[in-house]
Amino acid sequence: MKNIFLIAKREFIATVATRAFVIGLLFLPALILIFALIGPRLFNFKNFKVQGEVAVIDPSGRVLPELKKSYDPARIAARREEQAASALAKAPQQVRQAAGNSAGRAIASALGPVPEITIIERPVDSDVEQEKKWLYVQPKSMPRLALIVVHPNAVEAGADMEYGAFDMYIPPNVDDRATDEVQRGLREAIIMARFQAQALDQATVGAIYNIPTARSVIVTPQEQRKSVKGMNIMMPAVFGFLLLMSVLGGGGQLLTTMVEEKSSRVVEVLLSAVSPLELMAGKLLGQMAVSMVGMALYILMGIALLASFAVLGLLDFSLIFYLLLFFVITYLILGSLMMAVGAAVSDMKEAQGLMMPLTIVFMIPWFLWMPISRDPNSTLAVVMSFTPFLNTFAMLLRMASNTPPPLWQVWLSVGVGFLTAYAAVWFTAKVFRIGLLMYGKPPNFATLIRWARAA
Amino acid sequence: MEAAIELRNVSKTFGRTAAVKDLDLSIPRGGLYGFIGPNGAGKTTTIRLIMSILFPDSGTVSVLGHSSALEAKNRIGYLPEERGVYRKMRVGAFLHYIASLKGCEGPDLKRRIRESLERVDLGRTIRMRCEELSKGMLQKVQCIAAIIHRPDLLILDEPFSGLDPVSSRSLRELVLDEHRRGATILFSTHVMPQAEEICQHIVMIHQGKKVLDEKLLALRSQYDPRAIEFDPVDANADLTPLAALPGIEGVDANGSGCRIKLAEGTDPAEAMHRIIDTVKPSRLEMSRPRLEDIFIRLVSKEGDSAEDKMKLEANLGSMSAGEAGA
Repeated sequence: MKNIFLIAKREFIATVATRAFVIGLLFLPALILIFALIGPRLFNFKNFKVQGEVAVIDPSGRVLPELKKSYDPARIAARREEQAASALAKAPQQVRQAAGNSAGRAIASALGPVPEITIIERPVDSDVEQEKKWLYVQPKSMPRLALIVVHPNAVEAGADMEYGAFDMYIPPNVDDRATDEVQRGLREAIIMARFQAQALDQATVGAIYNIPTARSVIVTPQEQRKSVKGMNIMMPAVFGFLLLMSVLGGGGQLLTTMVEEKSSRVVEVLLSAVSPLELMAGKLLGQMAVSMVGMALYILMGIALLASFAVLGLLDFSLIFYLLLFFVITYLILGSLMMAVGAAVSDMKEAQGLMMPLTIVFMIPWFLWMPISRDPNSTLAVVMSFTPFLNTFAMLLRMASNTPPPLWQVWLSVGVGFLTAYAAVWFTAKVFRIGLLMYGKPPNFATLIRWARAA
Repeated sequence: MEAAIELRNVSKTFGRTAAVKDLDLSIPRGGLYGFIGPNGAGKTTTIRLIMSILFPDSGTVSVLGHSSALEAKNRIGYLPEERGVYRKMRVGAFLHYIASLKGCEGPDLKRRIRESLERVDLGRTIRMRCEELSKGMLQKVQCIAAIIHRPDLLILDEPFSGLDPVSSRSLRELVLDEHRRGATILFSTHVMPQAEEICQHIVMIHQGKKVLDEKLLALRSQYDPRAIEFDPVDANADLTPLAALPGIEGVDANGSGCRIKLAEGTDPAEAMHRIIDTVKPSRLEMSRPRLEDIFIRLVSKEGDSAEDKMKLEANLGSMSAGEAGA
């Protein structure tokens, strides 16, 4: 037991006390921070300005006056603020509070300078084909953005009670943001013209249509708490990602160190001092501790983030316990199998062929994250949560969803997991005894199974 | 007295290859045994069987009174043929780690590591990373790792291979010191002169089978070639009168001198006097049996052709001249 601890300690220190580990651990948070800070500058949204001419043929004669108002720079700025406010209204209250009153203006500002669109009125009876030629010439000072042909029935419905809309012709290579802006203004203008045609007050109709999004309240025998839209998808994703990242990271590290020890021949020195089982157990525990350090850091960061937005109540803390439990199980399975691969091969190149199928098997539930999260009690989700190698991920995704499975299913899955882990460790111990001192032709899975039987 | 190592009818095969066949071996406590044989003879496999790194297909192994070396691992020092270190680890930390795994701890350990390194002129390397050391330096470090816990049994697999003469001498002294301390030593080599210089007892193995298990002194007497090596002072001296001397069976010229074969019952001392009186010598010494010759005699079968013998000698490779050192 003491030797297992000594090996685990060396493994832990040798991994944690490296620059690569620290950089790797901080890489993800740093990447998110960098994208948040410099992403907008890199993408340069702010510097893009929609500017140009739009030719309009309006047989109704009612859209054009509204369009002039709609393309007025002041009106565009106001419209942007309204859209930002509307988006913010759908966010959780805590996020709205954190954003404050200036959020709308900030978002509008992030979208860049207010567009400058000049309307060119074309006669009602213009030949559209001739007018299209107007787009062929593009003056550098004032680009021609679009030719709009408003349908005659765009404002007043015809006998069939159908409203028309408009046709839009654009030159090649025009920026999508410019076409979007033109369409937004045109849509608003047509609606306003329709209101006027029907002698309706736009504010009244707007008020009639406006129903604020209500947040549902999650009710349990112990408590009631407000739900946050998207959390039923996000939470499983976060937990699944944490589990997958930690297990794959730890497993990969085990494989690398094992191959290194074997290729540098230090393994025979170790085997003169400890049994193969002690060596395996020590390495497994050491790297497990390393992965747990990383996972603990990410969990604490997540908790801090939720706390800063005052939405900590959304997190079910028992999930952290289950995350750790499922991590231990999954790590024992993948980690020991990775070690078996490491013990069997002579270098990393040989390891690739054996580790790829293993990694893919463990990724399957991650590929099915969306269907499991959306319907956590579907047959697919239930079957997967009892299928060896897949059960821990699938069960964790189900548990983090809005409709967690019954407790007996959770513990049955834990049982399946531990049985699988026992089998994986047993298999690895057998492969270890033979594979550690084998060099030469790289083995395949059939050879590994033969070794396990022979040992 | 209980043997330090006891192997009874041990066999081990890998696929269709029999690496060790029905091997019996008994090494008493305090013995200094050389385990010799050409490459691929089965030496490393036997040592791995003794160390419980491999397990025999049949037969029994007993090490320091235990059925598995793992039960007595803290009393065994092992330097494998395939040596390795943690390249990024510092020398002192590496030795401390290996010693801890061997159950050797306490405040005394650091001092012992420092002293051991100083003994082989590596005191300055204690804070260096293993990857910064030369091959010879690393081999010394690995040898220290094998003895740092003061084992009762020390097993060294080809300890001097690839070493320069100075490093080789330094390691040899380390090994002999351990023997003087009371440790039982088994070391394998395919360089037979090394075994001749160090060992008290020789075990020869060929194609997985033991072909010789004898004390070195007894070997020398048993395989005494009864010959005198002679070099004249005058390189142009006529050596033919030597063949006519009483008690001389024949004279074979070799290089600058000759090998004088004594007849059965001749007293070597008297023969030497007669030789000196006939031609003035610059060198005159009794021939010693070479392990290499003994080995070839033992493994050569009746009816082996000269070509077979040449192949065997080639397989022995650098046994006599090559791997400088010890």
